[in-house]
Amino acid sequence: MFIEVNHAKKQYGKGEAAVFALDDANFSLEKGKICVILGPSGSGKSTLLNMIGGLDSLDGGEVVIDGRNITKLNKKELTAYRKQSVGFVFQFYNLIADLTVEENVQVVAEIAETPLDTDEILSALDIEKYRYRFPKELSGGQQQRVAIARAMVKNPKLLLCDELTGALDTKSSRSVLTFIEKINREYGTTILIITHNEAIAGIADQVVRIRDGRIASKEENANKISAKDLVL
Amino acid sequence: MKLNKRYLRNIKENLPFYLSASILTAVGLVLFFLFYIAGTGISAFGEKFFAENKVEDASFTTYIEIPDDKLAELENNYNATLEKERYVNQKEDGFTARVFVPNGKIDLYEIKEGRSIENADEILISAGYAEENGVAVGREKMVLRGKEYTVVGTFLRPDYLYMLENMTDDYKNVTTFFLAYMDEGEFTSVFGAGSYNYKVVYHDHNRIADFRKAVNADYYVSSYLSADNNARITFVDGQAQMFILAAWVMLVMLPFVTVALISIMIGRKIRSEQKVIGTLSALGYTKKRLTLHYSLFAVIPGLIGGVLTSVLALILAKPFGSLGLADYEPFAPEFTLPVWIALAGVAVPTLIYWLCGILKIGKLLKRDTVELLGNKVGNDGKAKKILARKKAKVKVKMAVRSLAANPGRSLVVFLGVFLGAVIVAFAFSFIDSVKAVGEQAHGEFGSFKYEYILNTLEDGNPSDGEAVLVAPFESKDGKRFSVMGVDGDNTLWNLTTQSGNRADTENGWYMSSLCAAIFGLEEGDEFTFVSIASLEEKTVRINGIIKNGYQNYIVSSRENAAEIAGLAATKYNAVLSDRELAIDGSSVMEIISDTTYETQMDNMLRSMSGMVYAMMIIGGVVCVAALYAVINLMVSENASSISMLKVLGMEDRRINSMIISANHLLLIPGIAVGILAAYGGMAWYSSAFVDVENLIIPATLKWSSVLITIAATSVCYFVSLLLVRRKVGKTDMVESLKDNRE
Repeated sequence: MFIEVNHAKKQYGKGEAAVFALDDANFSLEKGKICVILGPSGSGKSTLLNMIGGLDSLDGGEVVIDGRNITKLNKKELTAYRKQSVGFVFQFYNLIADLTVEENVQVVAEIAETPLDTDEILSALDIEKYRYRFPKELSGGQQQRVAIARAMVKNPKLLLCDELTGALDTKSSRSVLTFIEKINREYGTTILIITHNEAIAGIADQVVRIRDGRIASKEENANKISAKDLVL
Repeated sequence: MKLNKRYLRNIKENLPFYLSASILTAVGLVLFFLFYIAGTGISAFGEKFFAENKVEDASFTTYIEIPDDKLAELENNYNATLEKERYVNQKEDGFTARVFVPNGKIDLYEIKEGRSIENADEILISAGYAEENGVAVGREKMVLRGKEYTVVGTFLRPDYLYMLENMTDDYKNVTTFFLAYMDEGEFTSVFGAGSYNYKVVYHDHNRIADFRKAVNADYYVSSYLSADNNARITFVDGQAQMFILAAWVMLVMLPFVTVALISIMIGRKIRSEQKVIGTLSALGYTKKRLTLHYSLFAVIPGLIGGVLTSVLALILAKPFGSLGLADYEPFAPEFTLPVWIALAGVAVPTLIYWLCGILKIGKLLKRDTVELLGNKVGNDGKAKKILARKKAKVKVKMAVRSLAANPGRSLVVFLGVFLGAVIVAFAFSFIDSVKAVGEQAHGEFGSFKYEYILNTLEDGNPSDGEAVLVAPFESKDGKRFSVMGVDGDNTLWNLTTQSGNRADTENGWYMSSLCAAIFGLEEGDEFTFVSIASLEEKTVRINGIIKNGYQNYIVSSRENAAEIAGLAATKYNAVLSDRELAIDGSSVMEIISDTTYETQMDNMLRSMSGMVYAMMIIGGVVCVAALYAVINLMVSENASSISMLKVLGMEDRRINSMIISANHLLLIPGIAVGILAAYGGMAWYSSAFVDVENLIIPATLKWSSVLITIAATSVCYFVSLLLVRRKVGKTDMVESLKDNRE
């Protein structure tokens, strides 16, 4: 398995105010697959993503990525892990406002060990014509494509998407998801999408449902469809 | 109002800002208070001491001695107090003593330590020398003209609070020169009649001219020095006024940076609170109430700084005030702070901060409540498009845009660097300039090694050396200068004009650059002045200016000078020589050697080093505090970019370099402008206080000082970066991403 989450526990707060964001969560995913994790707000899906991405630490259990137990990595090793292996895409894009589209991608390319060609990735996501524009000058869908380009330019093995269409209209959402499919197809990147939008599950190879910090269900998607055909 | 509970919480949350802003406010105010305390303390002491000890209005000498009964007659006729003072300059091995018979009416002395003279073998000496040389009062014996005297006390006297040995000196001498008092009978038996001069206090200032004319008519005035021209007296108030001026400069300059800082911080604070403001506004809070609430955030550093200032002023008043006394005899003024100044010092910055807060919140409250609720104010595309299509490192582009998009923040960084550099460079410039006075002095005087000022008028030419006639004169408004006469073939006195030609003294008058600066004259101007003896007006045309920022004179041939002075053309009273001459000590009033100024300036630097180094430390504190606050703010403002860069796998070191290093671009301009301003400030100081200092200080800043300033300011800058650096490491990625989502 490419991703293995075993008995993951994460608690926020203490005593009566304690909340288990992850409560003995178990989950795995094969390499090169698209997985959609579904769950309502507060179910623990963002926490699970943060743990897999090496942004936060577990209180119990382990996360193994490509055979490497990342829960045992120190701060420096986690930074290296994020730099080499993981790409992130967030709901609100989190682009650097002071940098143009091209520069937002270049800033990651500069630190990557084996970056993709910036022009190639801009072209793949159809945003090369916006390369000198600043984030504020783009629509939400365009900004999200820039965020995907930025995440992909370092050629990560794993792409983590946190509510990537949450702030987009239907048309933009479909367009962004089409590019996600394209990346998975062309670069073989393993993709994990967390969302509360059931419809997105249509493009997944695997669908996981999470509730109150526990994995409620995990199933292979026998009816996988193209993003173009999604009813969002 | 429940909302007020937020003030303490806000201080806790924004501790670095409040701490830095309060320190900056306190440093600005403390400097203001301390300079003010020193200035007013010295000024008040001088005023009181002068009044209690009957400081002279003038002193003069005459060619014919005024009989005692005539002194009383002059006093009655011209409503003045007049006293003949007897003294002698006694040169011994290692020191020179100016021994006086105590006066009874004018320039009285005040015992500083010990007691008055009771026996013939006892003397009093001036307190500065005693302190400098560790003279043990009551035990120490001193030998004057072969006879031993016990030092039974030390004293201060009003016309020697600034201990210049000679009136031509530029700095005090308490290492090898002192004043002494001895019993009148003992004085006569040891020194005979000695020299004498007259001290006068005028009770009717309208009669001064008549008095002087009458004295000259009967007794021929040979020298006249009003208290206004006597640096030993004027320096007390002159320096005090300089301190007071410096105090007001501090009050304007340092809080200005804090105002800029607070302005930015309040803007940020209010922007970050816009959702709350929008909510409160929607709930029915009036604009007035919200304005009051948020503007009071700005008052906090003013109040904390004010309290901190009071504590610091209380602790530092005496030691700092004492640093300001380095130039004087060891008097002990009362360093107190007037209540209204203390209140104004706290109120002025606080009020400015408050107004600044009102302006910021007022501007925000003009926006639509819906915009505020949507957190949209201030997030409307500030990024500048600079270098968008240029090939450059992303880091550089980001830095340039960050600075351009946040002009207020950039201004504070610039000001922090600038202030640090300007204060440090000014301190160095002061040291370099004072050293330059000593180093350049002799070159501007001429090539002589010794100048002997005689206390007699000689005729013809000296057997050794070159003759010079020196006669004191006054401008029409009473400022003193010298008329000098030199021979045409003089080789030792500097006669090179500013245009590089040799002055044609046989056919014209030339003026020293110091004299030109004091009287505001240029080549070609006419100069009208009066004789100190007859008060008769004379006018000469200035044919050129000679570069000499140390001596206040006009010069021509001996014949021309003698004619102006009403003397025979062959007279002289000074001798220049390129070697030491064997002139009878009793006929020499003063000896100026080519190292005199250098020694004086070294002494000056030694005395003032405490204050200069204190200034340097303050410059460093200001620099670090301002930069720490603003860079800390910068990191807070960029928290989401920092967390994103972390998420992307960028190391803290690299993030620091991308976000914080933007300020590097301001380091060099800040230092450069600071250094230039310091040099300009020194040049201004030099020209503005020519009267007080009685010399043109050559504004100087050596390359070594420039390099040290650059290094010191850079160290302060990088120290503040280092303090903030940890904050980047502590930025929580998950929390920042959550904030972004909200």
